[in-house]
Amino acid sequence: MPESMQDIKRRMKSVDSIEHVTNAMKLVSAAKLRRAKATFEKTNEFSHYIINSIAEVFNNASEVPEKYLEGNREIKKTCYIIVSSSRGFCGSFNMNIIREAEAMMTEDEGDSTIIAVGTKAKDYFQKRGFEILKEYSEPPEDISFLESQKMSRPIIDMYNSGEIDRIVLIYTAFISTLEQAVQTVTLLPFSIERDPEVMKYDKPVEYEPSEEEVFNYLVPKYVETSIYAAVVESATCEHAARRMAMENATDNAREMLGDLSLTYNRARQAAITNEILEVVTGAEAQK
Amino acid sequence: MAKKINLEIITPSKVFYRGDVELVIVRTLSGDEGFMAGHEWACKLLAVSEMWIQETSAPEYKIAAISGGFIDVKDSIVIYTDAAEWAEDIDMEKALSEKASAEDWLTKHPDDDPMNIERAKIAIQKAITRMNVSQGGARRKR
Repeated sequence: MPESMQDIKRRMKSVDSIEHVTNAMKLVSAAKLRRAKATFEKTNEFSHYIINSIAEVFNNASEVPEKYLEGNREIKKTCYIIVSSSRGFCGSFNMNIIREAEAMMTEDEGDSTIIAVGTKAKDYFQKRGFEILKEYSEPPEDISFLESQKMSRPIIDMYNSGEIDRIVLIYTAFISTLEQAVQTVTLLPFSIERDPEVMKYDKPVEYEPSEEEVFNYLVPKYVETSIYAAVVESATCEHAARRMAMENATDNAREMLGDLSLTYNRARQAAITNEILEVVTGAEAQK
Repeated sequence: MAKKINLEIITPSKVFYRGDVELVIVRTLSGDEGFMAGHEWACKLLAVSEMWIQETSAPEYKIAAISGGFIDVKDSIVIYTDAAEWAEDIDMEKALSEKASAEDWLTKHPDDDPMNIERAKIAIQKAITRMNVSQGGARRKR
């Protein structure tokens, strides 16, 4: 007999309780995913509008503040905003983000500094001696627009004062419930193509107070919105990833439970056969 | 009947309003301005203020408080704002206490960083706007 029946029974019990936990977590994640997805869809609309508007204003403005455009300053220091999660149990979600971010930073020849949203990325990069400028450890789904505004203001100030020369956002993009992909976006400086054909207005547009003021308002708004949108999207992805991971864990636990109960039944049968054999041999000996 | 124009009011968390309107009045940085169908194309920044919407053939204006933003007038009007609230959703008590705490802060920190002073002033402005809006707008009160 390979394993004693009691051992198998004990293992079955523990696998069974793990299965309960992962199953419950899967259900919770599914519910959270639904909620996060609803917010994500609404936010997506907003950020889409803002980004389109900026592109439009840019294409039609004659005086754009040069500091926001690509190629106007040497890129010495890059600020990486890395959106990870604060909780584990979500499969390779955090590892994907971290791997991508690390690859980018090693490739980058200039200095880099990190703003970490979620504790997982922060822990990883802190341990490896990267410079962490700021960290936000609350779970991403609790970050409101106001908070992301507070988050982005200092970044924009630093960009304007020349402390950093580039802002890169690394987050997980939501493709479907089953598929998520790491995405990197350079927020500033802009590299919108001047495209005279696509969005040229056929009517004059009145800017108030001035074109430059409007642009100066829109750019920080764009950064804020992008960061907020990334946080919301990443939260959606986290739930989706966790739901998948938990579903796999539940499936594996069930499969293991099946295997174990087969082994257990075999062991039990073997024990019974053994006993019968003993009884029969005993009776034979009595004759 | 005036011509109607499609209006969308978008906040980061949701589309606040979407519908056909005859007139929308907002405060730009240089003063109150009404927009109707066929307005010259414009891109203007908005102050923390009230917003009045006249829907097609509605007798009453709909009033909401908005916290700055910008308006984009083309063949349709789009308003982007950080936050918007209908008059009936405003919590008077909360607005009052926010105003009180901002004023309190200002009296205690008169020499603080100008950024923070500006922020406190904006907070007071927001609270006043919300209080006005919930009472039917400053214009009606007069």
